[in-house]
Amino acid sequence: MPGWSRAALVVFLLYLFLVGVRLLEGGIKGVSGGAQESLFEGITNPIAALAVGVLATVLVQSSSVTTATIVALVAAGTLPLETAVPMIMGANIGTTVTNTLVSLGHARRSEEFRLAFTAATMHDFFNVLAVATILPLELAFGILSRPAAAMAEAFAGEVGGGKFDSPIKGAVKWGASHIESLLEAITDNARALGFLLLIVGLLLIFLTLTYITKNMKVLIAARIERSLNAALAKSGVIGMSVGVLITIAVQSSSITTSILIPLVASGVLLVRNAYPITLGANVGTTITALLAAFAAGTVDGLTIALVHLLFNLLGILILYPIPRIRVVPIRLAGWLAGVAVRRKWLAVAYVGAAFIALPVFVIVVS
Amino acid sequence: MVFQFFKGGESTIDVVEATLVQMVLDGRDVYETAMDALFGGGRSKETKRELKTTDRGINTAQRDVRRDLMIHSSVSDTVDLPLVLAYMSTVKDAERIGDYSKNFYDLVKYGADFENAPDRDLLVDYRDRVSALLGDAAETFKDRNDDRARALIAKADGFLDEYDEQIKLQYSSTGTAADAVSRALYFRFLKRITAHVMNFLTSLVLPVDRLDYYDETKDDRA
Repeated sequence: MPGWSRAALVVFLLYLFLVGVRLLEGGIKGVSGGAQESLFEGITNPIAALAVGVLATVLVQSSSVTTATIVALVAAGTLPLETAVPMIMGANIGTTVTNTLVSLGHARRSEEFRLAFTAATMHDFFNVLAVATILPLELAFGILSRPAAAMAEAFAGEVGGGKFDSPIKGAVKWGASHIESLLEAITDNARALGFLLLIVGLLLIFLTLTYITKNMKVLIAARIERSLNAALAKSGVIGMSVGVLITIAVQSSSITTSILIPLVASGVLLVRNAYPITLGANVGTTITALLAAFAAGTVDGLTIALVHLLFNLLGILILYPIPRIRVVPIRLAGWLAGVAVRRKWLAVAYVGAAFIALPVFVIVVS
Repeated sequence: MVFQFFKGGESTIDVVEATLVQMVLDGRDVYETAMDALFGGGRSKETKRELKTTDRGINTAQRDVRRDLMIHSSVSDTVDLPLVLAYMSTVKDAERIGDYSKNFYDLVKYGADFENAPDRDLLVDYRDRVSALLGDAAETFKDRNDDRARALIAKADGFLDEYDEQIKLQYSSTGTAADAVSRALYFRFLKRITAHVMNFLTSLVLPVDRLDYYDETKDDRA
């Protein structure tokens, strides 16, 4: 496919993604109020919300899908902000499962596996440490949600009513209304229509993000390769910027971090140089929720998207600048990789326990 | 460095192919510098430095190619896998050309000088045909000219038999041991360089599993 037609396809898919968010939001509103509340009323405990974020992201293998859905839920007024904040942090943790799974493919060669597993799990440790540091501060002082709400309200300006207008919102509304009209032809029952909108919205979000990522990866492969090559032995800020750019372009932090695993395993990229690229990917992935928030057009939706961005920026500010703190996730990952190299089954057990069993246990107990 | 992301330009495979061509041309430079020393130039610090610098450049280029291919395969999944595997093999042949060419200078170090040798014309003839082969191989690879690659491989295959013949002749040589050894090594190195050029060209015309096996017939493969 020629480059220009692939680019046009990506723009169209991006539009459909935003339409999907809008449909999902409409679908949630269409489903009866009682059912909406019951969906999340059991998740009052922030740790349970965190576990839901982890598990949902592991299941769909994409934090972008989870965060876009969370934005739609918050925008529809179904998911309270205080519950959504830990969920979005959980999405950050859950997304690291993909590169950890990729690293297991190197298990045949011990040294390669040690490097690959270190590179993958340093992302896990960074995100867990960021949550462990920031979540208590958020719960106590609203360290993320307060500034995010202030920023969202400042952006919304004079419109009021918890909503704001944007050219994106107008364009998306047009497309969504056409799909809604089509679905209305199937049923005139408001609740059934709500379910249909919800399902179509979710499907659109999942499929469009999948194909945006695939096409963008092909479209900008040469640029990714050049920028990675340039960032191989460079300082943290350059690595982070490359991570941000690649992730914004492909709309997937999992793709960015998974590309790094074979490079680290083969010794082309040092673990310490992969680390800032990974952190950049954390920041870059927040663009999806921001785009979704502009499609939803509510202050609360924008607030949770900004929480996602601020959480990742604050995580870097706390854990990266001081060298002694910076190396902690790498050292923890190196230690875990050392254990995993000696007993490879432990690597598989770690993935199962950390990303599935533990979140399920927390949700069940809560 | 971040601006690399926004820059247009060549794909990694284009860069790798250009580097491979340059490695062969640099290998030819090493070859000609070493041959100049063998045919009258003799030993000099300048020649030694030049050989070392060019050879280091070739070695660096080899690592660059391997790194580029690694990054490319990480980003592009399996799209270009046969090409990546072929070039991973080919880059070794391109590197070996420079490496074997350096060995002619070792003959000078051991005291060989072909400038006034009675068989100088024969030695020069072989010297020049390999030099031409290196240039042709680089050009053919650059143009991705399959037909010319096949023709060059066939031509070079004929050279290999001639080198073997020349090496065999040294066993019955009536000259000094030094002359026989230097000539045997001379033809041996020419054979190795020619073989690496042929391997280099096979990446244009043979599938990955048959790279380097240009001399196998269909029956051999069955």
